Amino acid sequence: MTAVTDVAPPRRRPVARAVEGQELALVAVLAVLWVALSLGTETFLTSSNLSDLLYSVAPVALVGIGMTAVIVTGGIDVSVGSGVAVVMVVVSKLIRDGGASLPEALLVALLIGLALGVVNGVLIAFGGIHPIIATFGTLNLYRFLALRLFENKQVTGVPDTFAGVGGGGAGETIGVPNAWWMTIVLAGLMWAYMRYWATGRHWYALGNDPAAARLAGIQVRRRLVAAYALTGLFVGLAGCVLIGSGGLVQQNAGTGLELQVIAAVVIGGTSILGGRGTVLGTLLGALLVGTVTSAITLLGWRSELTELFIGLFILVAVGVDLVRERRRRAR
Amino acid sequence: MTVQTTSPERATGPDKPDRLSTWRRALDLVLSERVALLSVLLVVVVGYFYLLGRQGYLVAPYDTDYLASALETLVPLCLLALAELLVIVSGRGGIDLSVGSIVSLSGMAFGAMVGLWGWAVLPALLVTVVVGAALGAVNGLLVAYLGFPALIATLATYYAFGSVALLSHDNAPISTGPIQDAHSLTQAVSVPLLGDGFPDLPLQVATFLLPVAVVVYLVVNRTSYGRRLYAIGTNDIAARFANIEVRRSRFSAYVASGVLSAVVAVVTVAQFASARPDAGSVGSGMALPAITIAVLGGVAISGGIGRVAGVIIAALLVVWLNAGILLAFEGSDGSQFQLFALGALLVLSALLNAYSVRRGRGTG
Repeated sequence: MTAVTDVAPPRRRPVARAVEGQELALVAVLAVLWVALSLGTETFLTSSNLSDLLYSVAPVALVGIGMTAVIVTGGIDVSVGSGVAVVMVVVSKLIRDGGASLPEALLVALLIGLALGVVNGVLIAFGGIHPIIATFGTLNLYRFLALRLFENKQVTGVPDTFAGVGGGGAGETIGVPNAWWMTIVLAGLMWAYMRYWATGRHWYALGNDPAAARLAGIQVRRRLVAAYALTGLFVGLAGCVLIGSGGLVQQNAGTGLELQVIAAVVIGGTSILGGRGTVLGTLLGALLVGTVTSAITLLGWRSELTELFIGLFILVAVGVDLVRERRRRAR
Repeated sequence: MTVQTTSPERATGPDKPDRLSTWRRALDLVLSERVALLSVLLVVVVGYFYLLGRQGYLVAPYDTDYLASALETLVPLCLLALAELLVIVSGRGGIDLSVGSIVSLSGMAFGAMVGLWGWAVLPALLVTVVVGAALGAVNGLLVAYLGFPALIATLATYYAFGSVALLSHDNAPISTGPIQDAHSLTQAVSVPLLGDGFPDLPLQVATFLLPVAVVVYLVVNRTSYGRRLYAIGTNDIAARFANIEVRRSRFSAYVASGVLSAVVAVVTVAQFASARPDAGSVGSGMALPAITIAVLGGVAISGGIGRVAGVIIAALLVVWLNAGILLAFEGSDGSQFQLFALGALLVLSALLNAYSVRRGRGTG
């Protein structure tokens, strides 16, 4: 398993792969944290706490699957938080006022997410705008759209159409939230796609060297749009998970999600410069961020410390990656 | 197209009538010179809202007094946009997402010195600037010397500095007597010499914004350091061969960004008569609007291109546009349309940047 999880340039030897995998280190850190927390607190190793933890991580991990593809192409998408807000307000109003059924609501969520993602992709691939600038722009535009749709009111009394992927007991199978099962399955599919399909490999080629990728016959623009469109689909899904068992959808939905997602992807070992990274790493990164958040609450520490730890984890993860990169070049 | 890129002058064509080519040249100027385009836009925006106000479509008059008081929001935006200018121009994906958190943290430091320890304002201001420089130096160290991608390094420090700011005073603002007295730093004053006919200006425009903008302009355009900054942003390998200390120059851009953020911190504390631990992260944070204004002002995100005048006019445009939008709608609708205006301006100006680069000319 570990020998193949790290997607490496072909010149690396298999032996080196197993040793260098960022996933391995993350698994180790997570294991140490979980054991320590299980021993140190009485509440961590309870099924309800673990289930809460996994549910709260699911939206970040879901969007992270798409974001991994985007960052592997050398891009970034900071508009996902606003995108989630648009999806949530439309879908929650649709199931409350329009009485939409689960498949209808899901379809609408995916279509909205797709549309928002395609707009990003087209601006970047065909408009020639730098990804961070384009998505900073659409971050504002989508947030504006969401706020207009909210009509200055939060959406209350949302029915529990999405309870199946929600945080309550109805959304669990064998004690694990369905949202997390869904995340694992989709991450597995994405991992296989990015590793074994030609069009998946194209993303890595693009991130390593766009000019060389074009000369190699890759349809650069189309593959770029595909990455952002896919992220949009995951934004749609994450919106459904966040609506969950219904109730209340607030106007600040999704704010700051983009930074959490980017943190998870980067901690998972994906290079922000593009060309390197895996979806599995992103899942582990999201789990680590979720575990730290949960641990700080359980230990009774100041909740403001969470962000300090996220910042430090990002620095350590990227620092380790930089050292490995330098060694690889020196070899 | 290819002919145009080799010799831009030929674009108008020798066989076209003279008058047409004058218009064509004016259009070319507006499309390729960011400062010209922004100035035209600024006149259009202010004129449009002025006319709307005269016809009674706005909830309050859009007059010179209102425009002058709107400058209050110009000061932090413009200073942070100048900070982003320095960092983005220094190249290699330069960007500073942490400015908001530096504003929060150095603002808390200023608040503690003046509000809790009873320091005088001036020494506190100087120490605050040192604090900002130190925080910027952390970014600079990570990016320039350790090779972290700027986006990630400053994302991490955005989290870390923001967290420390919240922890520093138990997540509570400092607004004791001395801090409230500091509000006088930012009161509106009538301009000497011009007298009563001229609208009252917020004091911080004269005491903070103008001097800092002039200094940044001189440093960027009139010192060898400024030219080195553009050199490393354009091509850092070529700059190294030209015997420029690439790392030190890039490092100092992040330090300067920290210093400018600290100045914003002092202004913000004085303006609200309170040092708030979340001053730099309310709403969508301070970094996003600052980066937006820098890009709108013609700063190329790839580094090496960008002018101080462009950034200042872009900041004026955004501030007066926002002020007009606020009057054009009732309730909170205005603040929502401000988001729209900011996003649309950013995307359109970036499209224009890409277009003018494709035509073989830089912007600004």
